[in-house]
Amino acid sequence: MKSRLVLLLVLLTLITTNLFAGGFQLNIRGAKAVAMGGAFTAIADDPSAVYWNAAGLSFLKGTNIMFSTHLVAPQTKFRGVSPYVDQYRSENRVFFPTHLFVSHTLNDKWAIGLGFTQPFGLGTTWDENWPGKYLAIETGLTTYVLSPVVSFRPIETLSISAGFLYGFANVKITRKSPLSSLFAEDAFVELEGNDNFAYGFNAGLMFKPVPVLSIGATYSSEIEYEFEGTATTIAPSQFSSQVPSGNITATLTTPQNIAAGIAVDVTKDLKLSAEYQYIGWSSYDTLAVDFENEAFIDIASPRLYNNSYIIRFGAYYRLNEQVGLMGGFYFDNMPVDPENLNPSLADSDRMGFSAGIDAQLFEKLKIVGSYLFISAEELTVDNSNQIYTLGGSKFNGTYNSIANIFSLSFIYSL
Amino acid sequence: MKIKIGLLTIILFSALFVISCDDFTEIDPPIQNGVSGSANFSRFVSIGNSITAGYQSGTIYESGQIYAYGNLIAKQVGVEFQAPYVSDPGLGGRMEVLSLSPFTLKNNSSSGSLLNSGYPAPYNNLGVPGALIYDVLFATNSTNCASAVFASTPNPYFDIILRNSVLNKGTQLQQALSLAPTFITLWIGNNDVLGYATSGAISPSSPTSATQFGQLFGGIAQGLSQYTSQTGAKVVVANIPNVSAIPFFTTVGPALATNPLIAWWQVALSQQASGLPATGLIYMSHEGGTNLGTLPYQVGFADSVSLRNTTTLVTLLGSSYAPLLGQQTGKYYRDNNLTIPLGVDTTKPFGFHPQNPFPDRYILDPNEITTANNAVTAYNSTIAGLTTNFNFGLVDMNTKFNQLRVADFTGGTVINGITFRTTYPTGGLFSLDAVHPSSQAHGIIANEFITVINAKYGAKIPLVDVAAIPGSIYFAGKIGYQNGYPIIPDNVFNHLLF
Repeated sequence: MKSRLVLLLVLLTLITTNLFAGGFQLNIRGAKAVAMGGAFTAIADDPSAVYWNAAGLSFLKGTNIMFSTHLVAPQTKFRGVSPYVDQYRSENRVFFPTHLFVSHTLNDKWAIGLGFTQPFGLGTTWDENWPGKYLAIETGLTTYVLSPVVSFRPIETLSISAGFLYGFANVKITRKSPLSSLFAEDAFVELEGNDNFAYGFNAGLMFKPVPVLSIGATYSSEIEYEFEGTATTIAPSQFSSQVPSGNITATLTTPQNIAAGIAVDVTKDLKLSAEYQYIGWSSYDTLAVDFENEAFIDIASPRLYNNSYIIRFGAYYRLNEQVGLMGGFYFDNMPVDPENLNPSLADSDRMGFSAGIDAQLFEKLKIVGSYLFISAEELTVDNSNQIYTLGGSKFNGTYNSIANIFSLSFIYSL
Repeated sequence: MKIKIGLLTIILFSALFVISCDDFTEIDPPIQNGVSGSANFSRFVSIGNSITAGYQSGTIYESGQIYAYGNLIAKQVGVEFQAPYVSDPGLGGRMEVLSLSPFTLKNNSSSGSLLNSGYPAPYNNLGVPGALIYDVLFATNSTNCASAVFASTPNPYFDIILRNSVLNKGTQLQQALSLAPTFITLWIGNNDVLGYATSGAISPSSPTSATQFGQLFGGIAQGLSQYTSQTGAKVVVANIPNVSAIPFFTTVGPALATNPLIAWWQVALSQQASGLPATGLIYMSHEGGTNLGTLPYQVGFADSVSLRNTTTLVTLLGSSYAPLLGQQTGKYYRDNNLTIPLGVDTTKPFGFHPQNPFPDRYILDPNEITTANNAVTAYNSTIAGLTTNFNFGLVDMNTKFNQLRVADFTGGTVINGITFRTTYPTGGLFSLDAVHPSSQAHGIIANEFITVINAKYGAKIPLVDVAAIPGSIYFAGKIGYQNGYPIIPDNVFNHLLF
């Protein structure tokens, strides 16, 4: 019975593909962490600790399985191109990032865990005839990470962890390419690739000097993906020999993350937490596509992201033995200068507002539900480096993005 | 307890809802309500011919019409602009590129459909392909337009655009004024000289006379002036470009002159040896040619220098016969079902021998060019005088077109990173019919209008980003190819209106 449940959960996880938020890093893992604004590094008291801070595993008991699914509904509007104020909306898409975590305490000191997550992803689809059609039509990136971790608690108040990150990913980029300023017709370019083996590591620390105070810190390394795939181009037959196609390779490095947080039990029933997360976004400097065929000019789109940070706050209020309420807030600093913004990823300063509830429905089953609303600050770009014509026309305009995220987690304790 | 949880949840979620609703600010377009300075575009109408209609590559089609200069100006000032849209590929016979190398054209045999024929008022875009200056004042349908009255060729565009059987609103001018416009652009008269020039000065055999043009333009200007003095509406008029700045006339001659397959010096030597008074391309000439005494027709001579310098023009229609130069051929007469004229011997080298001359209708010789240029000068002087009298705005399109043409020889006209030339077919300024501006050239034309409007009326209309306008040339299916000149089948231009 148990094994069948696990199998079902694994299957559900695997069939969930192509799931992205308005951003490229999906910090949405586990309904409780989401409900507390992601200020969870110093708490990490459920199996999602495998991601948030594996050092927390040593403070758990027994064997726990956590299945977590999220409904992510991002929406981006663009008004422009300046001076025009025509409004374009990215296609409404709904994504279901799904994660699976297992934790097992071996003894007082050692605990192990396994997580299957989708830590990075993005997906935007614009109309194929919108003004930015040469910049982005469909952009999809999904990364999957399988991470075994081990946690060691040498003394009562401190534990440390280390883990391996095995990543695989797929990417799909479609856009149009102008043939020449003479012709009405465009070439339609589709790039697809995947990488089935990329790796990194993580490490964590949890320190509980006194029962009401917990301090956590984590590091998660870059993962360098080397995509291999194909480029397909559809163009009028008169141009077919001149448009790039064939095998391609591309490199993408997902950023390193450093997080440090603190959690305090203010009263017997109220826990508050705060956290600072540093993201090494400068790894995302170029989106380069190399054609195997030397005849075609390689594509290198500068992205020029900057290192960035997120500040998070969360609260957990225990109503009674069975039910708890949660709330959270975070501020996510825009990791790219406005002039370098590409419509495939409409970044901006973002604020997240979240709330949730957890309930110990049965002795062994806990359910957590949460809602997160992400509001990106309206961003007007007036000196874009993104050129959207064959000439020098700048892709200036105003972006508005929001996302609604509903999360549901089941935690089953054996 | 449960009530408490429910209440807390409701409060939390409604707080989130409030937050989620205020993330959108209004952005104002640069021009609001179509008013800038003393220019008011709230009811804007554009009177003209095929250029105004956005006719390209031999027809009107939506993806070209939406870039007609009137549409572009309307977009810049943020007003509605109704036009007689026809779904792609247009009303039939759109020229398309069959192959790039060698460059080969084909007519698209499909037709689109009328998309806006039910619009209950006159269109804002009252450009009628083929309209002469006479038509603005007098034509209400396909059978009383100038081409029907004077050349027995009804022009169906008058029915499609004026729709008088339903609207009953009269001529282009009457329809325009019936819209109670606040702003009017007028660009008419191009066809009064183009018909003459494109037919090699044959049909009609002369441009609309300066006197007649003066009377007709005067009539239009008076009508507009009367209206503007009552209403305060503004009028901006564009003048007429010289025909010699248009690739329809400037493509084939220089291509012939620089064709390495033609040994012009050998041609000249053999012509001198046979006692001819001049050398080069020999064409039949109905005015100003040389009477050799032995032939019942006159011939003209255009050496390679005059072809290259475009002092003698070969029209693009002559492109079909340019590859036959020097051959013993009567293909021109066969293709066009013409009787071989008395004195012509098609066994003589075509275009190099006075007895097998290049067809008159493909040549605009120096005399004919002068006739055309004089007409344009006279028209433009009438336009300049009357626009000053009536305080209309004047767009000097002739100077602009000449500048674009001159820039061909100095690297082209670079606009926001894209180089434009008048050259055919790669220059980017003209559509495949070599007479009508491309969508991007409409952007340049719109900017000429906007510059005049901004200066004259203290307006601040932003210029059109020409680089952001897409190309307007389409591809046809690909077939095999042959070597040589731009391959333009005889009939590709047959239905063309200007």
